[in-house]
Amino acid sequence: MNTIKYLGFLLLLVAFSSCEKYLDVEPKASISDDQPIFDQASAETALRGVYSALADGGYYGTSFQSIGYLSGDNIQWTGSQSQVQEFINHKVNADNSTINAAWIAIYRTINRANNVISRVGALEEGKLTPALQKQIVGEAYFIRALAYFDLARTWGGVPLITEPTLSQEDNIGVPRASLTGTYAQVLKDLDAAEPLLPPTTDRYRATQKAVWALKARFYLYQKDWANAEAYADKLIADNNYRLLKPYSAFFANDVRGTQESVFEIFYSPTETNGHRGQWQPQEKGGTRQWAPNDAFVALVNDPLVGGNRNVLVAKDNQGRWYGNLYYRNPAADPSYVIRIAELYLIRAEARAQQDGAKLAGALSDLNAVRDRAGLLPATAATKDELLLAIENERRIEFAFEPHRWFDLVRTGRAAAVLNLTDPNRVLLPIPAEQRLIDKALEQNPGY
Amino acid sequence: MIKEKALASGWRTFHSFFLTSALLCFGAAAQAQDAQNNITIRGKVVDALTRQPLAGATVHIKGTTHEVVTDNKGEFNFLTGQRLPVTYSISYVGFEALDTTQVSEAPFIVGLHQAANQLSDVVVVGYGTQQRKNLIGSVTKINPAETRNIPAGSFDAQLQGKVPGVQISSNTGVPGEAVNIRVRGATSINADNDPLYVVDGVFINNNTLQTIGTGGKATSPISDINPADIESIEVLKDAEATALYGSRGANGVILITTKRGSFNQRPTVSLNVSQGWAKAAKLWDLTTGPEHATLVNEWWINTGLDNPALNRSFANRPFRPVAEGGRGLPEEQKTYDRLGEVFRTAQLQNYDVSLTGGTKTTKYYIGGGFNKQEAILRPIDFNRASFKVNLDQKINEKVQLGVSNTFTRTYRNQARAGDGPAGGLLQAALHTPTYLSPFNEQGVPVGRAGFDNVGLLLEHYDVSSVSLRYIGNLYIDAELLPNLKFRSSFGADYNNYNESEYWNTFLISGSPNGLATSSIGQFTSLLNEQTLSYRKRGGKHNFGALVGNTLQSDVYTRTAAEGRGFANNSFKLISSAATTTASQSWTKSNLVSFFSKVGYGYAGKYLVDFSVRADASSRFGKDNKWGYFPAVGLAWKVDQEDFLKNLEQVSTLKLRASYGTTGNQNGIGDFAALGLWSGGTPYQGSAGTAPQQLSNQDLRWEKTTQANVGIDLGLFRDRLNVEFNAYHKYTRDGLLLVSQPASSGYSSYWSNAAEISNRGFELVINSTNVRNQNFTWNTSFNIAQNKNRIEKLNAPLKYGSRDLILQQQGYPLYSFWVYRQLYVDPQTGNAVYEDVNKDGTITTDDRQIYGSIWPKFFGGLTNNITYRGFDAGVFLSFQYGNKIYNHNRFFGDGGGARDAARVILASNLDRWQKPGDITDVPRPDGVNVNNYRDGGSRWLEDGSFLRLRSLTLGYTLPKTLTQKAGLQTVRFYAVGSNLFTWTKYTGLDPESSAGSGQNEQGIDLGTPPQPRGIQVGVNLTL
Repeated sequence: MNTIKYLGFLLLLVAFSSCEKYLDVEPKASISDDQPIFDQASAETALRGVYSALADGGYYGTSFQSIGYLSGDNIQWTGSQSQVQEFINHKVNADNSTINAAWIAIYRTINRANNVISRVGALEEGKLTPALQKQIVGEAYFIRALAYFDLARTWGGVPLITEPTLSQEDNIGVPRASLTGTYAQVLKDLDAAEPLLPPTTDRYRATQKAVWALKARFYLYQKDWANAEAYADKLIADNNYRLLKPYSAFFANDVRGTQESVFEIFYSPTETNGHRGQWQPQEKGGTRQWAPNDAFVALVNDPLVGGNRNVLVAKDNQGRWYGNLYYRNPAADPSYVIRIAELYLIRAEARAQQDGAKLAGALSDLNAVRDRAGLLPATAATKDELLLAIENERRIEFAFEPHRWFDLVRTGRAAAVLNLTDPNRVLLPIPAEQRLIDKALEQNPGY
Repeated sequence: MIKEKALASGWRTFHSFFLTSALLCFGAAAQAQDAQNNITIRGKVVDALTRQPLAGATVHIKGTTHEVVTDNKGEFNFLTGQRLPVTYSISYVGFEALDTTQVSEAPFIVGLHQAANQLSDVVVVGYGTQQRKNLIGSVTKINPAETRNIPAGSFDAQLQGKVPGVQISSNTGVPGEAVNIRVRGATSINADNDPLYVVDGVFINNNTLQTIGTGGKATSPISDINPADIESIEVLKDAEATALYGSRGANGVILITTKRGSFNQRPTVSLNVSQGWAKAAKLWDLTTGPEHATLVNEWWINTGLDNPALNRSFANRPFRPVAEGGRGLPEEQKTYDRLGEVFRTAQLQNYDVSLTGGTKTTKYYIGGGFNKQEAILRPIDFNRASFKVNLDQKINEKVQLGVSNTFTRTYRNQARAGDGPAGGLLQAALHTPTYLSPFNEQGVPVGRAGFDNVGLLLEHYDVSSVSLRYIGNLYIDAELLPNLKFRSSFGADYNNYNESEYWNTFLISGSPNGLATSSIGQFTSLLNEQTLSYRKRGGKHNFGALVGNTLQSDVYTRTAAEGRGFANNSFKLISSAATTTASQSWTKSNLVSFFSKVGYGYAGKYLVDFSVRADASSRFGKDNKWGYFPAVGLAWKVDQEDFLKNLEQVSTLKLRASYGTTGNQNGIGDFAALGLWSGGTPYQGSAGTAPQQLSNQDLRWEKTTQANVGIDLGLFRDRLNVEFNAYHKYTRDGLLLVSQPASSGYSSYWSNAAEISNRGFELVINSTNVRNQNFTWNTSFNIAQNKNRIEKLNAPLKYGSRDLILQQQGYPLYSFWVYRQLYVDPQTGNAVYEDVNKDGTITTDDRQIYGSIWPKFFGGLTNNITYRGFDAGVFLSFQYGNKIYNHNRFFGDGGGARDAARVILASNLDRWQKPGDITDVPRPDGVNVNNYRDGGSRWLEDGSFLRLRSLTLGYTLPKTLTQKAGLQTVRFYAVGSNLFTWTKYTGLDPESSAGSGQNEQGIDLGTPPQPRGIQVGVNLTL
């Protein structure tokens, strides 16, 4: 009997003494956030984490992209979620879940970039080569610039967060910066990235050339036509980038990283892009919730307008049209961030805006894109005719990429083209969910 | 006499081995007797009413340690040194104990009276047993035999209406799916609200291991337990009863005791075989093709009138003659029935066999069962094969060893019965417009409206799971000193859950070239427990104490693989896929607990006990791992006071009160308090890392304090019993996934930020209306109310489709958030909503909380009647005052605007058409415009119901007949379940709920109803 008694007490004793250790359970799929970046390998993996945030379904995976094209005039919605219809009707409510998802995903990307900028930048010498250190930090600066650019063109001025969040109190309650201030941050980051990055060609990563391309777009949005033209020049002059013929050559037949692409996001069968699910018909495993509308189908199938870009749409087994830019199975479709066609059209627009002697160059840039689509050259002669032609070209060229809405907003044409009567609606509302938990966030006017 | 009675009924130990230990004592004492002087005295114990022998009754010679158990013929004998006359104290479960004196050596026959009620029952409580009459806490004991035949996979789903204060919603008619079970309301928003399940002392997992979504509720691990193996179920509700389970008692505790043999019991074989059929009581009423087309045209023309820019008119209406480019006139449309294809008359089969018995030192229970239940929705079925072995062995007079083992294999054919387009079976059948042919113009079967083709789905569905479960426990009991007992046990709950799905190219998910997924999840919980208990009686004083500790470790691992791209539909395994991906996860939590309870009883009148449990969980912040959960209970047995003693009418009167704290940590991540970076963010095929969550070392236990007062009243020798409890629960430090402003880069973190209260009462009335030799009639009624309220929540939280559910401070959990439709203007046909902020327009600000899922009252009524060999039971359950959102009707009531995308329900035909029409269905004007607004209250319905849960008829053959055939009992029975449901709800089942999250209850979408069933069967014992 005594043995049992002692055994019992022994067990109690063991239980007491080993308590602390027993209660210390560490995960196996995560590490402590004390010092996650400490050498070259951990710096590189953390940078890939930033790209992964960019590739997320909330950002360039699906949600953010969809804001850009659903809000245009090419897409109809066939599902039951009215929040998608809100973009198409240009009546986005503050509690729309897509804008909240995009907002969260973009700031998550920024926080990851901030971590890399701050932590990799702070690594002592000897942990990794100075060249690599510069490149990693430069790539993070580029991604942060892109993120603030996307925030600014969607919502206007936003809270500017440039340091990593290390505790629950960090980086909340920050009031919105002005639109100018936000764009200034974009330029600051691009200027920081430019000298740090190598002048190489890498279509899946930020390079100096990607910085130039984004600068061209940035200056176009700022109506700094000369700079927009100058930066577009740099890419167009680089023979690593070409308009591929026909139009489908940059996406059909499972190609990726073609010469068309300045910066595209990499996906593979193991790092999938859920975008196709919204577009493909049921027979291809999708939902076809977003489908090209009748007007767009007519345009793209018009041989004088769409040309060989009619490959963007196809018919399913019930005779219904669906969009076919994101089609791969497994879902490895790239997300196209900047294509060379955009730089041609940026330069065309920048030149047209500068009028006079630049009009001829503008027309030839426009016709380069038209020629690739198998269309006859445009005959627009005046600045206004050219700008309209460029606008219409962009509508078809980037039909399923996030451009149409932002283009019409930046050119002030949304009211005329989309019947947008309320001028406040050119900016989307700050997500209501965010305002609920962060009182510092002021709503855009009109919401 | 008073003293003796006080002793017998005094405070008893809460240790389960006490009874067996008492038996051991006798053996030791008997040997000490002088054999020369011994005499043999014999007797027999029978049922006083039926004169049937009672096997297993305990016969104790008063004033000695002599105790024996009656054998199979009810007979007992003593070889004793005592001299006649001797006084026996005889007890038998379910019968009133009796003190009687034998004066001569002639065979002595004692008749015991069946207890009028359950008060004399022994009740299993935390770490022991207690006599019901000495209970301080609020505990309900259920005999699972009464509900065993209700066609639901798990025993908890069968208990609806049986336990006062325990609300059970079945959610779906799919057998073996998780139910919502709430003991005295819900205490948490993001931590679990499920009670703790304990099987033979083993804390078992009740969270599903299912990972392949079926569009709604997931499988229930509780359904791995065969109800036929269960001896009793005790539900512990108040703090006194649950505090010994401290850290996890806040949501109540369900103790399951499985069957065991008895010492000196002849081997008994029981056999139960039944066969049944089940069918949906009703199906949805859909529009025909012509009706659908008419509504679509009407919507088209209406929207054209409202907005001329749309250019919609009669001339270009969708359903116009084909010659004009239309889809044909409404009257030319055909109607295709899909519901009839997917619903069926389901078959139910059940076979249980068991062997029970025991020798002087060994007792055993061996049970085997097979249960197959088809769902009324093709092709879903549930198959459970179970095997159970319980053994107890006396090693010597002071030491006993035992094991409990449950092995189960549960196989399920599954299908997406809930929400979701791809693979969604019920949605495909219900939500596809009836006018659309299942074939395209080439005659090829096609899915319509974004759903799969129903015929193809039924033919090619291939989703299944196998759950292998072991629940077991090994214990040793030892009497270290007189009155001091030690027990050590090792328990394990192991669940291997292997699931797979294969979608071939005929189905959306498998298009264009096949998709296969396989996942194996393993949950292992290991438990070690020691208790030391002491008990002392002396004079009027009765003292007991218990100390113990528990170590528990839970590990969950999962390995999953996916393959895409198959050569053709004959290849189904991932190994033959072109692209394969895999994932793996591992998570672990440890718990250390110490607990103690002391109890004191004075003169059998005043009972007090105090308990405390300290738990440390690996999940919480460094300095917040420990939680302390004390409780105190008091009871006054007024019936033992002199002034009531002589009052014949009042047989029991007890006043009870308890107060204590219990905790909760279930449902939060195992590493919720840590600041982490994780992998799983690759780019370009190489690994990536990223911040995952911020550290929160303040994270600590969610704590619920509960006060309970109760009264037990028994009248007329306890033929009428009333039990009343009132309680107030208040939860602090409620675990909440708090939203973090996204500018931080994070979206949420775990915190202790909510406070929730639950207040209510429970009333039970048990009555033995008639009891005589041939006829008995018992009635049991229970009713309960629970008022739930969120006391503190910084920001409201939205859940569910269309944000239908809002958690907001000052309102109950799971409140519905809607635009309240007041009426339809008879002149315009437009819906008029309540303009809450009176600004003249209806915006999100006008959404309001309007009702919740909580009923005002709920309960059950049971009547059991026996007449000679016949028995009958009628069991009704009810709830009143709860709301349910008929989301099927929301989709199906789109006023034609969803056109070819959704079915239209026949209820939409009542829409306003012309001035003067009085209806609540407005004029079709488009989806989410005004009249058909997302979140409108028109689809929020009253979910009250009264359900005839079961109706049982049985006949037991006379003993004289069966004994000739060598059988003990033969009973034939028939059970009807859910035969009638009285409800105003226009959906199929007012208990339906599609969502899988606990915060999405009460939304009915694409869920098969609980079926109406009938079963016939036979029970045999030999």
